Amino acid sequence: MRSLLVLALLGLLGATGVVAQDAPIRLEKPWVRRAPAMPDAKPGAESNAGGYVTILNRGTAPDALVGASADVAARVELHETRNMSGMMMMEPVAKVEVAPGARVELRPGSYHLMLIGLTRALTPGQTVDLTLRFERAGALTTRATVR
Amino acid sequence: MARRLVAVIVLAAGCVAAGAPGPAAAAGSAGLRSGAFDPPRPAPDFALPTTQGGEFRLSRHLGKVVALTFGYTSCPDVCPTVLAELSQLRVRLGAAAKRVQVVYVSVDPERDTASRLRAYTEQFDRTFLGLTGTPDQLTTVWKAYGVSVVRRDLPGSQPPTYLIHHSASVFLIDPTGRLRVMAPFGTPVDDVLHDVRALLKE
Repeated sequence: MRSLLVLALLGLLGATGVVAQDAPIRLEKPWVRRAPAMPDAKPGAESNAGGYVTILNRGTAPDALVGASADVAARVELHETRNMSGMMMMEPVAKVEVAPGARVELRPGSYHLMLIGLTRALTPGQTVDLTLRFERAGALTTRATVR
Repeated sequence: MARRLVAVIVLAAGCVAAGAPGPAAAAGSAGLRSGAFDPPRPAPDFALPTTQGGEFRLSRHLGKVVALTFGYTSCPDVCPTVLAELSQLRVRLGAAAKRVQVVYVSVDPERDTASRLRAYTEQFDRTFLGLTGTPDQLTTVWKAYGVSVVRRDLPGSQPPTYLIHHSASVFLIDPTGRLRVMAPFGTPVDDVLHDVRALLKE
């Protein structure tokens, strides 16, 4: 009975693309900031949104987040916001390192995913599939809630 | 030169935020927690078109606390965080929220049309006022509040995209029109809420 339940759960996990619990990289608390449908959108001026997730490396080897995509954006970049004496500066970064045993939080005002060119408005309660690409762990998909 | 800087680095003497308020000043000014101007000084007045088609003039909002902040609609991280916090703040204020006016001034006149800005601010709170204008009109306001605005083109982006580095503090203007607080990005909502309540009680 229990094994059936486990199988069923695994099936569910597989279907929704949630990261298996025994993988070295675990993704927690994924969410995406709301964004309206933008009137007057010109190329390069589409709507964007920030994506956030906590990354746990439970393995013994270092890994790094090196890219991402989302089912609602033309592309996704890795960015870091830095606070230079009150001036908020956002810069693309090539990767976000996750050392063994480390927990790296992508959060507002720090590392984040920049979802560029949204294909639809994002309203609170909706979900977005985020795929994160790691150097070692490969591509992991997680379902993020819009807030 | 491919790298264009639309630029307003404001180091001018006399700009309001030049003497950046620090936490140390807080005790002296009504027990404010999030970076008080001590002594308070008159908030520079300005007028800009609203996204609804009218005109906003700061000095017509006496009797309310004005929470003034700066940002742009293509900003994915910092700006929506500030607006979400301000929306949370108004919810927590309950009935007193009707005496708080959030004003969001664009730092991106090129992309922020009135309708775009309106769609952006309204998703957080329908009472938020978004203000945009010509580069000249906006520059005057940025300067008056010591807000730095620097355009940063994203290399290799297609179509070409840019980000804007900008100050993201929230200024609190009291009901008598004096500039009282500059809360830097990341100030706990509890502290800003405390200060808004203190200013409403004075």
